[in-house]
Amino acid sequence: MFAKVEKSPVLTLTFIAVGFLIFGYATSLAKITDFIIFCIFVLGFDLVYGHMGQLSFGHMLYYGAGAYGAAMFANFVHPDPFLAMAVGISVGAILALVLGSVVVKTTGACFALLNLALNEVGAFMVLVPFPEWTGGEDGLSLFFSSYGFIDFGDRVFRFYFCLGSLLLVVFLIVLLVRSPYGLLLKAIKENEIRVRFLGYNTYVYKLITFVISGAVAAFAGSLSSINLFYTNPSLMDPTRNVEVIFAALMGGAGNVIGAVIGGTAFMTISNYLASYLIRWEMFLGVALLIFAFRFRKGIWGYARQI
Amino acid sequence: MLQSILFGLTMGGILYIISIGLSLTFGAMGIVNFAHGLIYAVGAYALYTMLSTVGLPFLAGAVVAVAVSIPLSYVIERFVIRKLYGQSIDYAIIATYAVLLIGVDAIKWIYGPNPLPISDPIGVTVSFLSLEAPLYRLLIILISFFIFIGLSLFFKKSMVGKIVVAGLQDQEAVHSLGIRVEKYFAVVFVMGSALAALGGVLYAPLSTLDPYMGFHILILCFAVVIVGGMGNLTGTALAAFALGMIMSITARYWGAAADAMVYVVMALVLAFRPIEV
Amino acid sequence: MLLEVTNLDVHYGHAKVIHDLSMHLKEGELVCVVGRNGAGKTTLLKTIGGFIQPSAGSVSFMGESIIGTPLHRVALKGIKYVFQDKRVFGDLTVRENIELAAHPTKENLSDAIKKVVAIHPKMEKLLDSKAKGLSGGERQILLIGRALIGDPKLLLIDEPTEGLAAKIIGEIVDILLEMKGRIPMVVVEQNLFTVSRLADRIYVMREGAFSNEITDAATIKQPHCYEEDL
Repeated sequence: MFAKVEKSPVLTLTFIAVGFLIFGYATSLAKITDFIIFCIFVLGFDLVYGHMGQLSFGHMLYYGAGAYGAAMFANFVHPDPFLAMAVGISVGAILALVLGSVVVKTTGACFALLNLALNEVGAFMVLVPFPEWTGGEDGLSLFFSSYGFIDFGDRVFRFYFCLGSLLLVVFLIVLLVRSPYGLLLKAIKENEIRVRFLGYNTYVYKLITFVISGAVAAFAGSLSSINLFYTNPSLMDPTRNVEVIFAALMGGAGNVIGAVIGGTAFMTISNYLASYLIRWEMFLGVALLIFAFRFRKGIWGYARQI
Repeated sequence: MLQSILFGLTMGGILYIISIGLSLTFGAMGIVNFAHGLIYAVGAYALYTMLSTVGLPFLAGAVVAVAVSIPLSYVIERFVIRKLYGQSIDYAIIATYAVLLIGVDAIKWIYGPNPLPISDPIGVTVSFLSLEAPLYRLLIILISFFIFIGLSLFFKKSMVGKIVVAGLQDQEAVHSLGIRVEKYFAVVFVMGSALAALGGVLYAPLSTLDPYMGFHILILCFAVVIVGGMGNLTGTALAAFALGMIMSITARYWGAAADAMVYVVMALVLAFRPIEV
Repeated sequence: MLLEVTNLDVHYGHAKVIHDLSMHLKEGELVCVVGRNGAGKTTLLKTIGGFIQPSAGSVSFMGESIIGTPLHRVALKGIKYVFQDKRVFGDLTVRENIELAAHPTKENLSDAIKKVVAIHPKMEKLLDSKAKGLSGGERQILLIGRALIGDPKLLLIDEPTEGLAAKIIGEIVDILLEMKGRIPMVVVEQNLFTVSRLADRIYVMREGAFSNEITDAATIKQPHCYEEDL
């Protein structure tokens, strides 16, 4: 039954849209907007993790780059939200292109740790050297211009805008994964050397994937700046990488629905359970262990078999 | 400048002591062990308890703190690390990170989230030339030096050491001689963990304790292991002191950038000498 | 029967590398397995040696099944494996390489060293050099010597002469001939001239199964008789 949802893009998008509409109106639109933005981030991360097969322990860098790109543009250049978003995405994509040209040459542990190291450098850059531009520890408070009904000050508009963004990202990734390029990516994940022997330059494909992934993460970051009306160093905090990793693992890596379910599940746990659970990190650790040892396919990996 | 060199050597010594275990698990089992940072923190916090609650003198407290880490690291080896042999590196990273998270939260539970101080147990400075050197720092450098010599002998002379050296190179071949090589790796794992706890004990008086201390030092130690070459013991020592120096020289001009500089060096090393794991 | 393999199937992922293969080895016998690259010879040897678990069939050694036995236990039962690519422990000295092999068998070090030196006297001088500095022939001698420590009941030798100069090949063959009769061996070998000197019996392997078995001593002596079987 669930496998059908995955096979048809229309059903996939409907499933996600209806799910969030129900969830949003049943709880709080503002809260679910956060959930949706996080899901976009998970989708970006999962391109590299689930689809390309490399675990990045530093994707907060691209999320933060998007957040700071958008925020600094809005603060110092022009408060137009769409331009700010475009700048945020570009910053993330360019950063991913420059750093990715080195990062994707490595695999496994080195890939994970190199990303983490770069994330640390990024967190340092926004925190210490240029406080007059980044706002240092306090970050930046933001204001965005509005045009008629396009008003990011309105939480209902923000909800629908972010939901629309999520559906767009899901749609684009589904297209990508189903294209010949997506098949090649899958082959690279399984056996890169074999793909190289077939005459493909796997480096280029991996770099492209990394850039798209960085751009999507940056999109989520810029959305979060716009949604929160501020940016601060916690949006680039390296210790928060575990959140997105856990979400991708929990939902089911390498699958758009898995990423969205994982993102939503993680946010639900962290928003609702965390206020009752004093030992939140301990809970998270135990849950991570269980998923890493027992339920590697994730929630969607099992649900799709029903 | 002399001051910077002294600080660099101290930092290098600490990084070396903590990195050995990481390097061995990395090289021998291909496992990125985030739980190593937890053992380091446990060493420091156990020392705190021994000094402030139990009221032991520093040396006795240090011995107990290192001893505490041994059963803990055995449990981690037995129930987490051993289950990760030959598995995809992602799950190893995730599972050991989970252990770190659990441990960090346990520390917060017991000790609270605020930083705790431990004072310099010797409190004597020696001065020569223009240098005012705390004796404690000199002692750390000396200890790390002795550990280097001791480990070199261990891996050259003892059977366990030789088996591990051979295992680092070709695990399957050691196995096929009739040696259950995992058993020896486990011994070395516990040893490396005890050294991490010792690192926590030694560094505690020079810094403050906070629950996330393990995470921060661990990324620095990963840098050491990657720069020095995984499972390469001499390389680890050289890299530890080189990065310690880089930290202290950077700190001389721009204190806040010391850690970031290490990551830049690590990224450069990885970029120009990628290691396939 | 010392070794009995029946109806063996081995898979690598989805690819079936060996199918429905049966073989046997008597006490004191030297059997050669010949065949082209990719025929599955090394896989067969590694399955017997406990490196690879078969998906079906049985391997029994001295009447006991050894399937599912961990690698180190198989070695302790007396089945010793000599690797194809001359895998010595390069960071250790020759003496330490021998010491490592002697450790699990409880044989004392000086006896073990004597065994290795006995097969080729030049090992005496090399005892304290790092194994990574040895030539191909010296490595092969060390590997064979190492396998002899602890009185093995069966040797599995993979391509012992591959990549060696003609003169060295002669020496290695002499060493194996000297051991022949005392220690049962399964030798995978491509060089048919070497095979013709060594074998008591030959299995010709093709696409994961035996296509022929040569038992006649006169035929074994004439490699051209089975050359086209490959």
